[in-house]
Amino acid sequence: MPVPRKDPTPRAPRVVKAKAAATRETPQQPAIDVDMPDAALAAARNDAHADSDIEMLDGAPQPPKQTRRRRAPAQSNGVDEFSALLEPFYYGKAITDPINTAEDKWNLLPAFLKVKGLVKQHIDSFNYFVDVELKKIMLANNIVKSDIDPKFHFEYTDIRVEWPTRSDEDDLTNHKSNVTPHECRLRDMTYAAPIKVDIVYTRENTKMKRVNIRIGRLPIMLKSNRCKLAGKNDRDMAYMNECPLDPGGYFIVKGQEKVILVQEQMSKNRVIVESAKGIIQASVTSSTQERKSKTYVLSKKGVMFLRHNTLSEEIPIVFVLKALGIPSDREILMMVAGEDSAYQDMFTVNFEACGREGVHTQQQALEYIGHRVRIMKKPQGGFQRRNYYLEAIECLSSVIITHVPVVGTNFRQKAQYIAFMARRVLMAIQDPKLIDDRDYVGNKRLELAGQMLSLLFEDHFKKFNYDFKMSIDKVLRRSHRASGFDAYAHFSVHQNHITMGIERALSTGNWNLRRFKMERAGVTHLLSRLSYISAIGMMTRITSQFEKTRKVSGPRALQPSQFGMLCLADTPEGEACGLVKNLSLMTHITTEAEEGPIRRIVFDLGAEDITAFTGEEIHAEGVYSIFLNGTPLATTDMPKQFLNNFRRLRRSGRISEFTSIHINHHYNAMHIATDEGRICRPLIVVETGRSKVTARYLKALRKGTMAFDDFLSRGLVEYLDVNEENDSNIATYEKDINDHTTHLEIEPFTILGAVAGLIPYPHHNQSPRNTYQCAMGKQAIGAIAYNQFQRIDTLLYLMVYPQSPLVRTRTIELVKYDKLPAGQNAVVAVMSYSGYDIEDALVLNKASVDRGFGRCQVFKKSAWTPKMYPNGSADMVLQKFESKEKKNHALGVDGMAQVGSQLFQGDSYIMKGAPKDFGSVNPAIQEWKESPLSHKLPDPAYVDQVCVTENETSGQPVIKVLLRQTRRPELGDKFSSRHGQKGVVGLISPQEDMPFSDKGICPDIIMNPHGFPSRMTVGKMMELLSGKAGVYDGSYQYGTAFGGSKVRDMAEILLQHNYSYYGKDYLTSGITGEALQFYVFFGPIYYQKLKHMVQDKMHSRARGPRAILTRQPTEGRSRDGGLRLGEMERDCLIAYGASQLLLERLMLSSDQHEVDICSKCGQMGYSGWCKMCESHEAIHQLTMPYAAKLLIQELSSMNIKVSIGLEDEFPRE
Amino acid sequence: MSSYGYNNTPQIQQTNQMPTAADDRARSVEYLCGDCDSTVALKRGEPIRCRSCGHRVLYKQRTNRMVQFEAR
Repeated sequence: MPVPRKDPTPRAPRVVKAKAAATRETPQQPAIDVDMPDAALAAARNDAHADSDIEMLDGAPQPPKQTRRRRAPAQSNGVDEFSALLEPFYYGKAITDPINTAEDKWNLLPAFLKVKGLVKQHIDSFNYFVDVELKKIMLANNIVKSDIDPKFHFEYTDIRVEWPTRSDEDDLTNHKSNVTPHECRLRDMTYAAPIKVDIVYTRENTKMKRVNIRIGRLPIMLKSNRCKLAGKNDRDMAYMNECPLDPGGYFIVKGQEKVILVQEQMSKNRVIVESAKGIIQASVTSSTQERKSKTYVLSKKGVMFLRHNTLSEEIPIVFVLKALGIPSDREILMMVAGEDSAYQDMFTVNFEACGREGVHTQQQALEYIGHRVRIMKKPQGGFQRRNYYLEAIECLSSVIITHVPVVGTNFRQKAQYIAFMARRVLMAIQDPKLIDDRDYVGNKRLELAGQMLSLLFEDHFKKFNYDFKMSIDKVLRRSHRASGFDAYAHFSVHQNHITMGIERALSTGNWNLRRFKMERAGVTHLLSRLSYISAIGMMTRITSQFEKTRKVSGPRALQPSQFGMLCLADTPEGEACGLVKNLSLMTHITTEAEEGPIRRIVFDLGAEDITAFTGEEIHAEGVYSIFLNGTPLATTDMPKQFLNNFRRLRRSGRISEFTSIHINHHYNAMHIATDEGRICRPLIVVETGRSKVTARYLKALRKGTMAFDDFLSRGLVEYLDVNEENDSNIATYEKDINDHTTHLEIEPFTILGAVAGLIPYPHHNQSPRNTYQCAMGKQAIGAIAYNQFQRIDTLLYLMVYPQSPLVRTRTIELVKYDKLPAGQNAVVAVMSYSGYDIEDALVLNKASVDRGFGRCQVFKKSAWTPKMYPNGSADMVLQKFESKEKKNHALGVDGMAQVGSQLFQGDSYIMKGAPKDFGSVNPAIQEWKESPLSHKLPDPAYVDQVCVTENETSGQPVIKVLLRQTRRPELGDKFSSRHGQKGVVGLISPQEDMPFSDKGICPDIIMNPHGFPSRMTVGKMMELLSGKAGVYDGSYQYGTAFGGSKVRDMAEILLQHNYSYYGKDYLTSGITGEALQFYVFFGPIYYQKLKHMVQDKMHSRARGPRAILTRQPTEGRSRDGGLRLGEMERDCLIAYGASQLLLERLMLSSDQHEVDICSKCGQMGYSGWCKMCESHEAIHQLTMPYAAKLLIQELSSMNIKVSIGLEDEFPRE
Repeated sequence: MSSYGYNNTPQIQQTNQMPTAADDRARSVEYLCGDCDSTVALKRGEPIRCRSCGHRVLYKQRTNRMVQFEAR
């Protein structure tokens, strides 16, 4: 490969160019865009050798492996050309390396993430909504009937969601839309797909069938199975201007990325026993499609009652059970208390109510309850005698505990349910340990995007059908109609309501559903794109419905049961501490599974229907009841065998892998759960003391012949939810397995989440430091996405030269933080220097800063769209303005700033023209006033992009101007390491003054050693040591939690390279040239630049704007406000006695005002005239704060007279 | 994305043929299509749309004036 050598002198940049060009000309390496970075990389690598041997650079052939990779043809069958590189097992090991199960079982984790992705919870939930839930909602509301014409019939037969389109393409048939999420972001559109239905209805006695009728548009979650990005490879993603590393799971609504955060709630349809003010009660929130209500069984002074909102008073429990068809007192006693004499003694008191109230039969009990049912609806048509008996039946069958079905007139199941609740209360009274913990994670359910959307859609769909029915009725009511009636004409009228309703809810975050009286605000949030990690952190965030102001510590405390499910480090500080949580790396949130098959399997496994049993039998010794989703279903006397058989069925894949079963020996109960929103995680199955995952399977996994799902279906790995996890004996490491072990942890570091996973050696840090880092990692400036330069966001921070951390963790590789890093490996000297490094301040090397350390870019968008005025005229961009003004220098002929031009303060970038005349005027002769949009900041900015586009709905033009600033670190900018050690720049010292080592290495950052003792961030020291060893070894070192590179090994490496094993170096002072009298802990630490920069905060003011009302200086930097002398500062001045200073600060420099006061009446006058006394006599002029004058006037407007008494300061005697 | 789907739909093409109140006196400025990268000359009031592919996101071209940077 002869390369023309034009320039004999070795000048690196020139050579790079020649090299790249030569690469392109060679025929076997076709020039595709992708090879550019490679060529640059190769050239850069050669560059490093440039100074030593120029011949080698020119003659060195390309390594053959690289050539092959570059020539990879464009594939579009879903396989990535780079996928070999992205394979999880490339991290550290080759396919042929030997396998050690104890060490390599963590390979399951990348396999898990590969199948599920980082935000699988959101995407799974949305997919379930679109595929299953939508059809269920349609089927539940599929018939629309008319009140007027009984012959009219309208029925939905199918519903589906199609691929995303632009809204103007909806009516085109056979049209494949090429809309991309990125176009939606740029054009402020909603990324939505049409919802289509098939209908059958009657028209003039004939049956009509129509298919593919659009009823609205549904915003589509990115990377869900309805999204264009689903299953696309990196090349396709790049083609669509989308970042392949983007997690997806959010919506694009009106150009904004909106996330529906995971919501934490108490579980529905489960009995919870709690103690409130000494009263022990069992409560259950029943929730079905139709109704949501809460029922209590409580014990007051030893007597038990049932409480419900529809009942005006508490009903003795015995009456309820009688009304539900259990006539004999003995049977009731047996159902509740069983044969246990202690419980029987406690419960017998309840029967006294029967004698007192004279309620002995079912009839009497129903009458009693019926009298206490609150009437919900006013009966139509005047007074009607209430039928208490029927009302009670109605109430008991469909209002109280609605989730337990009443088939025909069989109330037995419901009676048993209430008896079980009563029994739980009895047991809790007897043994207070049995009171449930509300904060136990197993009692919680997480609500995801799919569930939130299904609530919303159902509400709007019902409203849509109602509106449709009303408009049909309106026509049908008219007896003589001119034309034939076609209901279809009325059908498509309301489709906008569904579209707009869902869009509004998503963009405002207000979920207002009348049916459930739900008014929730703040459901959706704008996806934070501050850094890649902040976006990922947002997708795994869980908010709680609890009130923040309450002082209870329970919900905020770390729960032992959240082990492995919720991250234990990642929670905000302050107000929301402990209420906002984050998911761990391996957690999965279940979607709903069908109950029917499970019910059949329970009976097939030999359990018997519980309704066939009496109380004695159910509560007999050794008999266990089986509950399905909280409802008693069956009993068995061989619980262990049932449990094992059930689990075996699940492991063999006969039932959904997310079904959980656990046994509760306190209540002699087994609980099977199939409901949605349970948190679970995968674990390796251990049978007979041996892990089921063996080297053979791991080999198959590494070879790619087995995927994570195969491990599941073969029963090697299974999902456990919190309740089932509680019954299991889980070994952390393979060596810990004993006879009782049931499961093996896949990898212990998965107890941390994606954000906490970035911390190297977190297990050596003081725990709050990890929490601090979790908050700060989200503020770090770095690369955001591969498409970061295509994005036009309101505010975007990017680092110019981000570096992948030298000390990594497995999590970093799994979340691909190493590909979109946010920080730089700074060489840190831990020593004191100059006195500008106290209180966590850092000293930066000026030469490092010049070379680009901590350099970042700030992009700011300003969008313009013409404002419409009532007279029909609108703003416009002025094109032919005659202006030689300097501030318009950047504008082009189209009235918009030229791309690339520099804007100083006050320079205009869009020459907006506002109409001069707002009255009725001929648009042709309308005149325009120049009112340009101008650059406000004192620091100059460059025009980076000017994007001209059109709004989708209004058709108005939209102009987006992106302004760019490049910032180098300055005094006061905030930096932080990955260990919660933040600091500001205290000094930027010239390199010649910095200490240097005997190898000539000069630190980028000098950090004060006082940061270590109290913070106890040992992990940071270990990061330095591993980083230093890695640098000399030429390898990346790992700081994975509960593992990672060992300090001993690192010391060994350092020793091999003739360094102190302590990581300390001998340094020479740059100032004196003498050797420092101490060795300095010296090495690379990954430093993040945080978004808080001095330039955005610094502010001062001498004189400036004042507020109109009070005439006091304005507040805040954005309004050029004054600096407040606050209450505490005032207290100091008073205490010191500096009264003149006080006067100056609070009045003279603020809102000094001259007023005329009449000393006779004490009122304010004007121009030396008192209006009250009608004289000039007693007027005195004095100075007072304008705010005081305002207060007096405001008081007088409220009929409170304030008179000012004057006296001489120096009386004449 | 290529031009398929766009050229086949006569409905949309009509909008191109009748420029809505385009200003004759206005100078036309060339923009770059965000999709196919072709130049689009637009006058004030014309619909914002690439003539070859129908994409509606256009970018202003980089200035041909000299830009001086302070390297710091």
